[in-house]
Amino acid sequence: MADSIIKRYYDGLAEGKLLATHCDFCDAYTFPPTTACEHCGNPDVEWVELSGKGTLLFASHGAAPPPNARFVDIAPYTYGHIVLAEGPVVQGIITGVKAEPEELQALFERGPVPVEPDILTLMGLKVLAWKLV
Amino acid sequence: MRGKLKEGASIVGVGCTRFGDLLETPEIKGLSMQELAAMAAQEAMEDANISPQELDAVFVGHAMVHSTQLPGTYSQLSKWIGAQFKAGVHFEAQCSTTNVGAAMAAMAIASGVYEKVLVVGLEATRTRVKDMSPYERVPISTEEAWAWTDYAVNQAYSVPQGYEIFSVYNGLVALGYCRKYGIAIEDYDRAMFELCRTRRLHGAMNPKAILQETLEDEAARLGFSDPWEFWKSRFNPFVAWPCRIRNVVTVADGASAMVLVRKDAARYHSEAPVDLLGFGIAYSDLPWYDKDPSLWPIDRLAWQRAYQMSGVSPRELDYLHTHDCSNIVGMCNAELSGYIPEGKWTQYARDGRLRYDGDRPMSTHGGRHAFGHAWAASAGADTYEAVLQMRGEAGRRQIRPWPETCAIHTHGYAMISTVLILRRC
Repeated sequence: MADSIIKRYYDGLAEGKLLATHCDFCDAYTFPPTTACEHCGNPDVEWVELSGKGTLLFASHGAAPPPNARFVDIAPYTYGHIVLAEGPVVQGIITGVKAEPEELQALFERGPVPVEPDILTLMGLKVLAWKLV
Repeated sequence: MRGKLKEGASIVGVGCTRFGDLLETPEIKGLSMQELAAMAAQEAMEDANISPQELDAVFVGHAMVHSTQLPGTYSQLSKWIGAQFKAGVHFEAQCSTTNVGAAMAAMAIASGVYEKVLVVGLEATRTRVKDMSPYERVPISTEEAWAWTDYAVNQAYSVPQGYEIFSVYNGLVALGYCRKYGIAIEDYDRAMFELCRTRRLHGAMNPKAILQETLEDEAARLGFSDPWEFWKSRFNPFVAWPCRIRNVVTVADGASAMVLVRKDAARYHSEAPVDLLGFGIAYSDLPWYDKDPSLWPIDRLAWQRAYQMSGVSPRELDYLHTHDCSNIVGMCNAELSGYIPEGKWTQYARDGRLRYDGDRPMSTHGGRHAFGHAWAASAGADTYEAVLQMRGEAGRRQIRPWPETCAIHTHGYAMISTVLILRRC
């Protein structure tokens, strides 16, 4: 059986790890990982583990019910735009912040805030969510 | 990349159905997708004074086969538009489909392979085939429509991890814009209200729009004497704070079509041909933007490439449509295009300058919210409107003087940014 990059990523999440690839050619990270550097196309990349440190730049929310049945129990949820310490920009569910205008406005006015992974298990799949530090 | 067409291509015929609901909208109620597509194609061919057997190729696109159940659409449509035995292809670039088709047709013509190409786009985002019926349809739920649409989005990571279109494509972009330019959220909301008023005014003047009621009339119908109070009411909830439901797309069933020929043959087909001067295309996977959600690298590239190929500068544009499935993304693109100064769209909207009778008219068909959005057919509907405007055939919403140079920007989920630069011959 061939190794699947996607499965390895999710297996990493199950162990609390954020796995990415690093390109020595352009010195950039691809997160989540794929078969090539997302910046320069180089297929010769190395697996690395990210620190998990991030900064939440913006947060909004989504709809309920959601189109994906996996998220019915937590919708509507807050969804954020995050930059990781190593550079990649990611987007994901923000836990601990209600999907309500008042709370989101307060967060917006507060400005960028540090976040860390909050890995959820939804319908048997590990989901990389984030929580305010 | 040379980024040039070796030979000019012109749009000589356009067609578009009313956008609506195949179960409810009078002009299209009861039609099958084959008949809907044929309606747009026949209008375009009649407009181009061309018979289907004169065509060299037919490029047919749609994105959501779940609702049409028509893969291999070129052959499934061939007997309906009378173009059997032609060269053809079913392609998709999601909501950029028809305008990517125009670019493909221009390239095919410029290469010398084909001289006359029909591009057709069709989509059903409100209804789907009932079971395996040849003619019965049933409504699509909102969740179902977006679940199918989201098949076009990163299926390895983003969708399984809670990807949420309304925040990614609306709320986060709006917040990025407000922070960058120091705009208060209430001021942003007021500008969105004014923009929606404009788009709904345009829709009310367009017999092919799905929504033909002004925002003011809708407010009054629902018991509000003040449309602004209506805007802030429970009838207009946030879909992704600070963006409201009337800031976003209205799903629709619809079809559009256009005929492109060699520039030197255009006058044979049309008294008012429109040159496709250039196009720009760029795509990316999520995330579509870096730290600044209001600035998308693919849009910058698409605009650069279109301006470079066409030799047109932003100051030459007389009319602009930008993809406004999300109004804030549309307005970020209006600024990126150079049509509106950076950081100024909220003021332009409040001053009415984006109306058909303003000095920077945009989306005079009503845009995705008022005209409606039938994914793969919509880019063709945007081009249809630009061609009508350049010919002086836009009726009550006609821009005066008639525009000579137009730009059409579309986003194909998820995500292909496409820009066409058009000019009246």
